[in-house]
Amino acid sequence: MKGTRGVELTLLIVGAVVTVAAYGLLNLGVRADVGGLVGGFGLILLGLLLGAHIVVRFAAPYADPLLLPLAALLNGVGYVMIARLNSGLADSQLAWTFIGVGAFCVTLILVPDLGWVANYRYTLALAGVVALMLPLIPGLGVNINGAQIWLRVGPFSIQPGEFAKILFAAFLAGYLADKGDLLSISNRKIGLVHIPDLRHFGPLLSAVAVALMVMVFQRDLGSSLLLFTLFMVMIYVATQRLAFVAAGLVLFMGGAVVAWRMFSHVQRRVDIWLNPFADPKDAGFQIVEAAFALADGRIGGTGLGSGTPNKIPYADTDMIFAAIGEELGLLGATAILAAFMFFVSAGFRVAATTTDTFQKLLAAGLTSLLGFQAFIIIGGVLRVLPLTGVTLPFVSYGGSSLISNYIILALLMRISDSSIRERRA
Amino acid sequence: MDTALRRVAFILLACFTLLFAQLNRLQVYQAEDLANHPANTRTVLRDFDRQRADIISSDGVLLATSTEAEQGSFRWQREYPQGELYAHTVGYLGFTTGADGMERSHHDALVGRTSSQQLVDLSNILNPDTGPGSIVATLDHGLQDTARRALGNRQGSVVALDPSTGAIRAMWSWPSFDPNLLSDPDSSVSTSTYTELLNAEANPLRSRAYRESLAPGSTFKVITAAAALEAGAVTLTSPVFEATDGYVAPLTSHKIQNFGGRTCGGNLVDLLVRSCNGPFAQLAAEELGPAVMINQAEAAGFNSVPPVDLPAPIESSYPVDYGKELQTPNPDNPAGLYENTPVLAQTAIGQNEVRATPLQMALLISGIANDGIIPTPHVLQAIQTHTGQTIAENSPGPWRQAMRPETAADLREALIAAATDGGGATAAVNGLVVGAKTGTAEVGDGSASSHAWIVAFAGPPDGPPQLAVAVLVEATEGSGDQTGGRVAGPIARALFEEFFTE
Repeated sequence: MKGTRGVELTLLIVGAVVTVAAYGLLNLGVRADVGGLVGGFGLILLGLLLGAHIVVRFAAPYADPLLLPLAALLNGVGYVMIARLNSGLADSQLAWTFIGVGAFCVTLILVPDLGWVANYRYTLALAGVVALMLPLIPGLGVNINGAQIWLRVGPFSIQPGEFAKILFAAFLAGYLADKGDLLSISNRKIGLVHIPDLRHFGPLLSAVAVALMVMVFQRDLGSSLLLFTLFMVMIYVATQRLAFVAAGLVLFMGGAVVAWRMFSHVQRRVDIWLNPFADPKDAGFQIVEAAFALADGRIGGTGLGSGTPNKIPYADTDMIFAAIGEELGLLGATAILAAFMFFVSAGFRVAATTTDTFQKLLAAGLTSLLGFQAFIIIGGVLRVLPLTGVTLPFVSYGGSSLISNYIILALLMRISDSSIRERRA
Repeated sequence: MDTALRRVAFILLACFTLLFAQLNRLQVYQAEDLANHPANTRTVLRDFDRQRADIISSDGVLLATSTEAEQGSFRWQREYPQGELYAHTVGYLGFTTGADGMERSHHDALVGRTSSQQLVDLSNILNPDTGPGSIVATLDHGLQDTARRALGNRQGSVVALDPSTGAIRAMWSWPSFDPNLLSDPDSSVSTSTYTELLNAEANPLRSRAYRESLAPGSTFKVITAAAALEAGAVTLTSPVFEATDGYVAPLTSHKIQNFGGRTCGGNLVDLLVRSCNGPFAQLAAEELGPAVMINQAEAAGFNSVPPVDLPAPIESSYPVDYGKELQTPNPDNPAGLYENTPVLAQTAIGQNEVRATPLQMALLISGIANDGIIPTPHVLQAIQTHTGQTIAENSPGPWRQAMRPETAADLREALIAAATDGGGATAAVNGLVVGAKTGTAEVGDGSASSHAWIVAFAGPPDGPPQLAVAVLVEATEGSGDQTGGRVAGPIARALFEEFFTE
């Protein structure tokens, strides 16, 4: 235990040093002054991370030591980039970071054991659906940039969908831990393919339905794709049956083609993806500017504060990866990719070492959520996928996203801690 | 379960590897192309809001200037007093629309960042009251305006070069646009204008002179003739080709007919004067072969991007793949035989997949006028200080040798004959020595059936040619079966008259 937490502490300090150094360089680049600001920022950051570390020491002493430092590094680099792009948002991102780390600590302290959660799976599913639907209620929801996914609560806008995805992961883990074996038994065989009993397609169909609903009613293509991917990954891990994945893909593709035909916003996204340079000043502007920004960055980047990343629309949220690629170059952008790869590997390792089926599935689901969300948005920025607006976990500006990602982190560390405890016992 | 888990982890990590590969593509392999993309405004905008040098024509007319903006968030704004006339050469500069033309390619000179300008700045360091100076274009305002009036509202372009230096005297492309709208300080005006132009039918944003290539038709026979002269397959006087109504290449039954189905023959001068199709197709297919034709086309600049100092010029193309060799060239059959020898026969008269920009055709005729040497085309003439003192002159020298001087002299003689008795006579001007080759590139039937071309040079009787011209009037709805002689020739003549009576 001591070794594990020692590694974590060392890595946290490394992450903090990187962040503070970047912050210092930014101030040097923008104001030609490293000054007292940086000292103060360093102390705040170190205090915050030490606080989280101490909570982990007491609440989850055996948890994987890589997860928290990686999240802190991503969060730190994201914060510096946001401070560079829009100094007005820096303070509120810092506040959200405090609340996020707070949520992380509270989750670890209040949930010493996850076993009971599986019993409330249907309640969780209902809560997830309600959370998803809330923004559709007139008066409660607000439409921002064409997507109906926001709730206005006093001075804040929150995105309940960010929390709904955790609830869905927990529901599916509970449901599949219970029914997974049943689903994987097949009683019919057509050719070489085993066809599972039709009634077990229920959860699959509802999964596809939820994903398509999000796409159609909320116009949130990114979340739709992410939820669908989550469902497919979890069903596949639980049943090891590619038939479900194939059937799900066929259904989703069918739904997507229908959506593409029916909705101009879907067509527009696809057209822009296939040929952004057809209209580089209007429709393709965002994606074309992102490509130009990345090209400007080359290998070493323009340097923090020395590029023009504000030319990219939504540089502080959806497009933050392009801003990082411009100012920190191929090297900086690759470091972000590597951090996500390490995080995902650590997450799957947690799932693999867990013996409890529910917790194993939950760890796999939460890791996939984070990993695929990063892939969907970075892929969109780099034109590997059509661009859909989801945040880059821990990096983008946004309170709901930060809090929900810190809760995911806490849950992964909780599962990691319990599995090692169980093995020692 | 753990196997499935491992597979999912593998897929996700593969996804990230894909991202890494694409990141390398954008930031390393494509970085240069993306940086030079016309829509990329980053380089130019880094120093957007400052007074730039004026751009003036070689005859002293103001083409672009910086004025203090009356509205908007910037202090300076760019104005183009001549409107659409220099849209594709001087270009435009706007905050949302970026830059094109000289505003883009000579950005460094316009903001005073070339080394010669910085040296002058250094010596003036005690005298800070210096404006940004001006840069002088090679363009001749009178000639440019003549090109616009002569082409009128027909889709096409006109290029006029000084054949010995490569200085671009006129370069006009229609449809054009008003660059003032793209540099409007009100970004809603500039952006909507840009999008409108981009989606307009004939894309007025694209210069047809150096960013569009079309079949050159019979003007390309100049290259086939050059190849035959260089190879020693013909002289101006022999052989004398028998008069036929066309030519059927080996391996095909399709007959390449002479224009209008006429019978046509004679020596090389006659062939160029009458613009016979059959004998040129026969020369390429039976005497010269692919290697000689490809060499000659490439020596004249085909399959290379011309080194013009304007952004994103495109290359003209001559096919290089003629399929399997069926018979090796030998003394009896110097051309050899290839699967696509019938295609080779068509390329000899500028058809099939041959594509040329008007700039390339003007460079070709310049090479003939200039003893075989094609000069480097350019629009920048000189950089001046704010007091009008010239601190740098631009004379980039030759681009490439297209043919031997003797071949060029032979072709001049033949083209002068073609401008006396042939289709090019419509370009002839009394008192001048004019040589010309017309072209009518068939592109289909109906009301838009042919592109009309002419390449021509002109000079005083006692000296070398002083102006080389290429004119293209494109096939458009309603243009009918226009011929180079009838349609393009008079435009070349108008340019010569303007240039030599100044």
